[in-house]
Amino acid sequence: MKKMILLAVTLMLALMPLAGMAEGFDPEEFRGETLNVYNWGEYVDMSVIREFEKIYGVRVNYKTFESNEYLWLQMSSEDAWDVIVPSDYMIERLIAAGKLQPLDKKIITNLDELAEGVRNLPYDPDNTYSVPYFWQTVGIVYDTTKISEEEMEAQGWDAFQNAAYAGHTYMYDSSRDAFMIAEKALGYSMNTTDEAEINAAYEWLRNMHASLKPSYVTDEVIDSMAEGLKWMALVYSGDAAYILSENEDMAYCAPSQGTNIAVDAMVIPANAKNPKLANVFIKYMLDYDASLADSEEVGYASANAQVLAELSGPGGDYEGNAAYVPRAGYEKDEMYVDLPANWQAKMPDLWAKVMAE
Amino acid sequence: MKSFFRMSYPYILWIALFIVAPMFMILLYAFTRSSSGAITFKFTLENFSRFLSDPTFLKVLWTSLRIAFITTVCCILIGYPAALFIANLPEKRQTLMTLLLTLPMWINMLLKTYAWRGILMNFEMESEIKVFIGMVYDFLPYMIIQIHTAIAKLDRELLTAAYDLGANKWKSFLKVTLPLSVPGIISGITLVFLPAVSSFVIPKLLGGGNYVLIGNLIETYFLVAGDWNFGSAISLVMALIIIVSMYLTKKLDTSTEEG
Repeated sequence: MKKMILLAVTLMLALMPLAGMAEGFDPEEFRGETLNVYNWGEYVDMSVIREFEKIYGVRVNYKTFESNEYLWLQMSSEDAWDVIVPSDYMIERLIAAGKLQPLDKKIITNLDELAEGVRNLPYDPDNTYSVPYFWQTVGIVYDTTKISEEEMEAQGWDAFQNAAYAGHTYMYDSSRDAFMIAEKALGYSMNTTDEAEINAAYEWLRNMHASLKPSYVTDEVIDSMAEGLKWMALVYSGDAAYILSENEDMAYCAPSQGTNIAVDAMVIPANAKNPKLANVFIKYMLDYDASLADSEEVGYASANAQVLAELSGPGGDYEGNAAYVPRAGYEKDEMYVDLPANWQAKMPDLWAKVMAE
Repeated sequence: MKSFFRMSYPYILWIALFIVAPMFMILLYAFTRSSSGAITFKFTLENFSRFLSDPTFLKVLWTSLRIAFITTVCCILIGYPAALFIANLPEKRQTLMTLLLTLPMWINMLLKTYAWRGILMNFEMESEIKVFIGMVYDFLPYMIIQIHTAIAKLDRELLTAAYDLGANKWKSFLKVTLPLSVPGIISGITLVFLPAVSSFVIPKLLGGGNYVLIGNLIETYFLVAGDWNFGSAISLVMALIIIVSMYLTKKLDTSTEEG
């Protein structure tokens, strides 16, 4: 096995000059350089990064963050990252603030490998600044021995108003997602800035808190649901794919009222120190090999069309896993738009009050 | 003398840079409001009135204080007999017991809490009880060591005198050991209550997401809402509570010493 890997690497190294010539960069030119990458926690197969280091003779300084908002705060400090992986609405905010630089399409020549669901996205329609990495929907993971499929599909988000599940529910502690499910349940847009609609959503969430007494969690929900500790939970589809593969009693529901489609995409900050190598890295990450390894390891839906089809198809790791491939093309689904500054602060404020009540 | 004073310059510089300056920043943020990114240095009490006029926030503050208070009381109730027991052991065994007691403190608090999560997951009980188990477990050694030190310092002749004067074991404990160990209890309270008020990791992990404490609020307003002004105001309220309770315990300490 080791020999095979070695052979593969040597072959790649040998062929690299040929491939490189056509792609607007010389693979030898980066030797000894450093690339600063800032990604979400547990969002990569580290051997993919090590491989990149080997191929180009570079050092990747790989760090992780926990939330888009935290990343935004970091961006205003002096630290210069070469590649970061924010979500859709944060990319929109970063573009508007002039904090990103256009990608070099002479280097990133593999954009045609993108899956159908992550093409022409509203926040960056021509991939001028960003290349999708993973994508997902938000949905409900539930225990089919406690709640039947018909029961759950009929309720959708309204399950979070059903007092019958009191004490048996996990709610993800994220203000934007909480307001999203409330707004979708009430038939509004998840990007509404109408005061009356947001107040109605706030009341919906307060009612959820009063009647369901949910446990507010973050990533611990993944293991807890895999162990079947509660009946249902608000979960990102990529995490749901893992839960479903661990516990066969669990099912995934993408509610009929519509949900959020979220894309985490690779971008290059305007103050990057090594933008050329960053472009090479982004191309490398979108390629089949890296995409396959990452998606297999992490369980999130790949942005690479071929990988997505293979992993969900016959013999793939996620064959028959309802959560792996995000629902695409459903008219009630939306993507987040960056909210105006006053709501950016107001929503977490209201959400903190819901949880503390 | 003067040359020795110079040696404290690095320390003073350290304090100024990393303690005084941030405190000043918090103070500045807490009394101002920023509108759309730009800070306007206009003095305002708005942040404080917003906190103090909202019953939800006061409830969070109350929960934090309540959890810290019950934790401290439990630590005293469990810790005092333990300290008394250790203090009555032969010298060598005392050293061993103290070592055993401090042993868990060598392990990262987060790891211990996750271990408790795994253990307590198998039991059906109120999540509040789980929180107290975790909190008392974590803070108990501080209390025992403080009380033990106070009892060990105690002059044994005093007890002999009490027995000579006809006091039984119970009475000599009430009249001699207990009053003289109060300073130990008080420094124990300082070491348990103050960190317990601001602790939020243990309630968060063991409480199954049913607790919002003051530490969580501060985190939310700084990192998620990006409202540093309000977050600073909450931090300042918190700091005030800590300063007042330190002052009160100190006062209690000196009054028992005088009495």
